[in-house]
Amino acid sequence: MLQHKKKTIGVISIMGGLSLLSLTGCGSNMAAPVNPSSGSVGTTQHGVLLGVGAENEYANVMQQIGGKYLSVSAIMSDPNTDPHEYEASPQTSSMIAHANLIVQNGLGYDDFMNKLESASGNPHRKIIEVQTSLGYSNSTPNPHLWYAPSTMPRVAQLIADDLSALLPAHKAYFNHNVAIFDASLQPYDRELEHVQKEFKNAPVATTEPVCDYMLEAAGMANKTPWSFQAAIMNGIDPSPQDVNTEEQLLSNHQVDVFLYNQQVVDSLTTSLLQIAKQHHIPVVGVYETMPPNYSYQSWMQDEVIDLQKALQYHTSTQTLS
Amino acid sequence: MRTLLNVIFAPGFFQSSEVFNALVLGTVVAVISGVVGVFAVIRGQSFAGHALADFGATGASGAFLIGVNALWGFLSVGILGGAGMDLLGKRPRERDVATGIILSFMLGIGALFLYFTTTEKNISGAPITILFGSIFLVDARMIPIIVILGIITLLVVLFLYRPLILSSIHPDLARSRGVNVRLLSMLFMSALAMTVEQSAIVIGALLSTALLIGPAATAIRLTSSISHAIVLSVFIGLTVTWGGILLAYDSYYFPPVGRGWPVSFFVASLILVFYMLAQLYTAKNIRKKDMIAKESS
Repeated sequence: MLQHKKKTIGVISIMGGLSLLSLTGCGSNMAAPVNPSSGSVGTTQHGVLLGVGAENEYANVMQQIGGKYLSVSAIMSDPNTDPHEYEASPQTSSMIAHANLIVQNGLGYDDFMNKLESASGNPHRKIIEVQTSLGYSNSTPNPHLWYAPSTMPRVAQLIADDLSALLPAHKAYFNHNVAIFDASLQPYDRELEHVQKEFKNAPVATTEPVCDYMLEAAGMANKTPWSFQAAIMNGIDPSPQDVNTEEQLLSNHQVDVFLYNQQVVDSLTTSLLQIAKQHHIPVVGVYETMPPNYSYQSWMQDEVIDLQKALQYHTSTQTLS
Repeated sequence: MRTLLNVIFAPGFFQSSEVFNALVLGTVVAVISGVVGVFAVIRGQSFAGHALADFGATGASGAFLIGVNALWGFLSVGILGGAGMDLLGKRPRERDVATGIILSFMLGIGALFLYFTTTEKNISGAPITILFGSIFLVDARMIPIIVILGIITLLVVLFLYRPLILSSIHPDLARSRGVNVRLLSMLFMSALAMTVEQSAIVIGALLSTALLIGPAATAIRLTSSISHAIVLSVFIGLTVTWGGILLAYDSYYFPPVGRGWPVSFFVASLILVFYMLAQLYTAKNIRKKDMIAKESS
């Protein structure tokens, strides 16, 4: 009896370990072998360069700067999936093997890119990692850098510089596109300034740190505890204390707006959304990757306009379309 | 006095609705696991109990994928899996192998469901929730359902109590006395499935076995009477579950402050502590008996 009991417990712990491995390990190293097949690595086809943006907002800006000399693909672009859970496919790795220019975010947000890049060595390929290029340290807690208003203009210039190095003859063309891009961001900047001036330190609640950089620029006071935001972002359960704090913010009307990440939804965030609606707190749906039919500029501009509408007229704008 | 209470029960413990729900669920699960666990250990079905939890995990990932509450996935696939194992496992020798093979296949399906859930649907926390539970975030509407299911499970076991003991210890004797051992085995398997799947909601699929086997095995070490073992096992189960919930709540103030450690970690650790204490205690008693025996000879 005693002997038997010991054995079963041993088996249980081994099985537990195995099942854990099989469930968590099932996708983490998807960096499939790349075969440098037909395509001409590092050269151009019909004078058009190939670009890859790890997230579709970076791909969008790449296209705007590269214009007719760049054909861009985006890897993460589905607004219905959580980018933090992305797993690369063999098709993706072939795309990366043939790219001339890659823009990726860094800060652990798209680690799979580094794996795929090292799996397909290509000395002529240029890679812009936004985190390193803009000097963010590895311990930066909020990876959603594209929501910082200062990020994209600098990234746009980096893209133009790399494209000019690849196609020196068109340097003026690329720089001209940067100027157009910067000018088109002005309405967004003006709207941010407007919100900052009119509603300085307005209290808001969030589910996730997605648009925190934008809220900071708009002068909002984000009341949601960081530990809550981080737990939701990383797909773990927040502590009961934090859940309680967040619920109180909404049910006691301690915030003016509830910013809700459309792309990371679970039973907790859904119930928070209900509490916000019950207590007539205006909801602004924010997106982690660029929604369809938008450009980076129009996306950012619409989100800040939605924030402004929520603050001024208490209107909810749950989805962009 | 007040400060001491505050050290033990961190501020807000008694006001939090999350904690209240967790205590209710934890109590249901600890009681049924304590009772059913003793029979599972006596019948040598602890591996089956673990397999049932993992089957349930596949069901729960499927539930996330189609957008229904995880409990229904746990229960349906768990009970189906229990019936399947009972049909396959006629001879004990074949049973473990058959269980192991079906278990691997089911886990494979579970991995596929989780992959689709996290990549196609926008549910990011599914794997952690299913594997390690999230007692503080259970949908409040599920609580009455879980309480009722728990009571049903308990009634089934109480109803079967005497024939179950007999058939667990002496199956041949039970058969000769006209007990339907097959039917009994199937009914017990359903009770086992219900128990494991409900505790999987609370402390996760991977650790629900710990709550099933740990308190029961500890209790069986300490007493030779089955009814005493059941009472003791329920008592240990309640202690580790309530203790785990309290520690998890208090851990909000452990480093890194403001995070809170998972309940399942504390429950599993407390179970191990109890088991080791029982082992030490019985070892000491055996040594004492040996010494007495030596001296008297």
